[in-house]
Amino acid sequence: MTWDGFVDGLRAGVVWLMAVTSVPILVYFLIINLSYLLLIVLASLDFRADHRRRESEVTAFGGALTPGVSLLVPAYNEAAGIVVSVQALLSLRYPRHEVVVVDDGSTDGTFEQLLEAFDLVEVPRELPRDVPVRARVLDVHVPRDGRTRLVVVRKENSGRSEALNVGLNAATEPLVAMIDADSILEPDGLLRVTQPFTDDPTRVVAAGGAIRPVNGSRVVSGRIVDVRMPRQWLARVQVVEYLRAFLLGRTGWSRSGALILISGAFGIFRRDVVVEVGGLDPTSIGEDFELVLRIHRRMRDEGRDYRVAFVPEPVSWTEVPTTAAVLRNQRRRWHRGLWETLWAYRGMVRPRYGRVGLVALPYYWVFELFAPLLELFGIVVVPLALLLGVVDVPYAVLFLLLAYGLAVLVTLAAMAAEEWSFHRHDRWRDLGLTLLASVVENIGYRQLTVWWRLEGWWASLRGKKQVWGVMTRAGFEEPAP
Amino acid sequence: MLVLAPAVVLAACLGLVALIVGTKVLRTRRERRRAALLAPYRIDLLAVSAGEDDAGAHRARLAGADGASRPALDDAMTHLLAKVRGTPADHLAEVLHAHGAIDRAITDLHHPSAVRRARAAQLLGLCGAHQAVARLGEALQDQAPDVRTSAAHALGLVGDPAVAPRLLAAVGSSHRPIPAGPAADALEGMGVGISRALRDALEHPSPTVRTVAAQVSGDGAFTRSTPRLRELLATDPDLTVRETAAGALAHLGRREDVEVLARHTAADQPTPLRRTCTEALGRLGEPSAVPHLEPLLDDPDPRLAELAATALLCLGEPGRRALGDRGGAAADTARTLARLRAGEPIQSVGAGRAGDAAGPGDSGDAGHARAASRADHGSRA
Repeated sequence: MTWDGFVDGLRAGVVWLMAVTSVPILVYFLIINLSYLLLIVLASLDFRADHRRRESEVTAFGGALTPGVSLLVPAYNEAAGIVVSVQALLSLRYPRHEVVVVDDGSTDGTFEQLLEAFDLVEVPRELPRDVPVRARVLDVHVPRDGRTRLVVVRKENSGRSEALNVGLNAATEPLVAMIDADSILEPDGLLRVTQPFTDDPTRVVAAGGAIRPVNGSRVVSGRIVDVRMPRQWLARVQVVEYLRAFLLGRTGWSRSGALILISGAFGIFRRDVVVEVGGLDPTSIGEDFELVLRIHRRMRDEGRDYRVAFVPEPVSWTEVPTTAAVLRNQRRRWHRGLWETLWAYRGMVRPRYGRVGLVALPYYWVFELFAPLLELFGIVVVPLALLLGVVDVPYAVLFLLLAYGLAVLVTLAAMAAEEWSFHRHDRWRDLGLTLLASVVENIGYRQLTVWWRLEGWWASLRGKKQVWGVMTRAGFEEPAP
Repeated sequence: MLVLAPAVVLAACLGLVALIVGTKVLRTRRERRRAALLAPYRIDLLAVSAGEDDAGAHRARLAGADGASRPALDDAMTHLLAKVRGTPADHLAEVLHAHGAIDRAITDLHHPSAVRRARAAQLLGLCGAHQAVARLGEALQDQAPDVRTSAAHALGLVGDPAVAPRLLAAVGSSHRPIPAGPAADALEGMGVGISRALRDALEHPSPTVRTVAAQVSGDGAFTRSTPRLRELLATDPDLTVRETAAGALAHLGRREDVEVLARHTAADQPTPLRRTCTEALGRLGEPSAVPHLEPLLDDPDPRLAELAATALLCLGEPGRRALGDRGGAAADTARTLARLRAGEPIQSVGAGRAGDAAGPGDSGDAGHARAASRADHGSRA
């Protein structure tokens, strides 16, 4: 075949491909953007109410019905920051809470740090086996002062989900909050995120709170004292991503009664309900997503009146990846977890599961799982079509402008909601950087994450074992300017 | 069409940028203006809210404020009123009254703005405005959830028990409900006059109302609720209600409630209820609970066994005697914790084993744990 013949064949193929896919892609494009718009409208109703609540300043926190909370903190090689983290958690403003640290076989002296800081003594406590755990629990420790509500459980190394299950068995309060050892909670965060349980004690089974990247902010003694934008663009773009995901996505889904994902970095659950469904699945990569879906399934199967709530106010701050390698690993794992969980729960896409089965799950299938595939198609075919001269250049440019313009619009809507409701970034410079990041993320970053997500999906389809990476943390404590 | 669409999106983006910037500018200006208006009165506000205005000079200055300073001061005083009690609170309410803020707030309960209605309800509650009880009662049916919540909160601060039935009914309303938490707190501020309303609410078809009534009955020691609480513990279809009833019986129960609670520690009962009832037996403080708790020390559920041992220690000498020198993890843990709470020295068994955990993990799983516990695990955006 001659070169010209090859080019002609390719051109014909691209023309055919574009003819076949143009209408479905246009419909997909329309629906996804309409759905974003709908989520924005739903979320803004919540923000309006939230704004009113702030204006009227009714603070009925810590009242008669406020349930006790066990904060479950799985820790693996967290020696550098574990003491500060635990001290910050113990000093949260809340009427009744305990901290349960599960040392997952750390080798860096995490336990020794706790032993010294809190003068721990061993107690011969046998933990209940409310949820099954494979790993052996080594021992249980409490502070010698007899008052500090801290329990440290040491176990053999077996992973975060198992550590959380051990923590669940050790927990004594009716609510359990699962929190990463390196996350920072707002001083009132626990009060805010338990509010749905206090307001509706018989129905609410789980609640999530908004999570924000902590990179760049000034942290002193486990508390954020000055919120700032990160120094690296990679982290800045993630600030924008988190804003969009939590302020519009989760809030909108919660408003429509179909929230199916509570972030693993911070989620709070009724202990009895998590025990009832068997705890976290240690074999799942998307264990946070999987747990919430399992809860939905159990509640719906049993015809129980229940609610999964979301608190849009920032509750927890976490460090996000600052290198492409770690971010790649994270996004691969997230998308793989999404695929494996959606596949495992494909049977829930039925009317029996209400809005979860008819709206949320199909949405996640079409607009979360398949989105990178469609985007990759666009990334490959559109430049090819331009190269072969099968599409009009101004037409392609306008289409790209529209596609990325809509993405920026959604982000700006999230920023407007943030500025209206929470306005956590005080500086004008930070506002400018966030605006810039909302545009910059479309140039390179978005295309890279599309590829990484597809890598994760492909690895799962090939049955490749998940390889976990290491996140090098810069740490929170930054010097004052 | 394709030419128009990007233009529309671009215009919408620019509009949003203008909105974001405008919001920030307006907020900053408003805060600065408010600070400027309050600046001349800062010392007076501090003196009154700290209770250091016996002569009334600072109150007189605050009461004499006019123009734009007056609403700014009213806001600031309302904010302070939520944080102080006693004489300083009375003095702040006195200044607000002198400004006509209370009369305005009563009128504002019918204002078209939900924010104004909610703030009015809040101010009336904080000022203990008894004259507004009827209007606040009406506000429990307001179309805005935040106004209803503010009204409930305010009624609790005013403390008029006559509105308790309406408040409880509003908790169970399917049309315009008020949240259970603020309702329970409000009821706890209404005193003994709500006894009848609580008893009725324990019969309510909504489990949320029953939970609120059970909780408040226990916290406020409303002994007339006891017979119904026993029934709820035994037969209520909702586990939360049953657990709350058990907790309430621990507060206000009598000797005969030992049997009632002990019955629900049986193996055929739900585990959370068994644990709550075991704990409640300890809190009830009746020595007759000892024979019921003793067998639980051997329960296959280690948490229940430990709770039983702790409960025995709570029962004084008869409980301690029953626990005796009994071995086992549950009894030993309960005894150790009791000693630690009492400040008694105990031998540290943990320190010597501190290094044991270094590297106990299965090397094959270590990578898994590293990622799962430390890396980017689970923090899905």
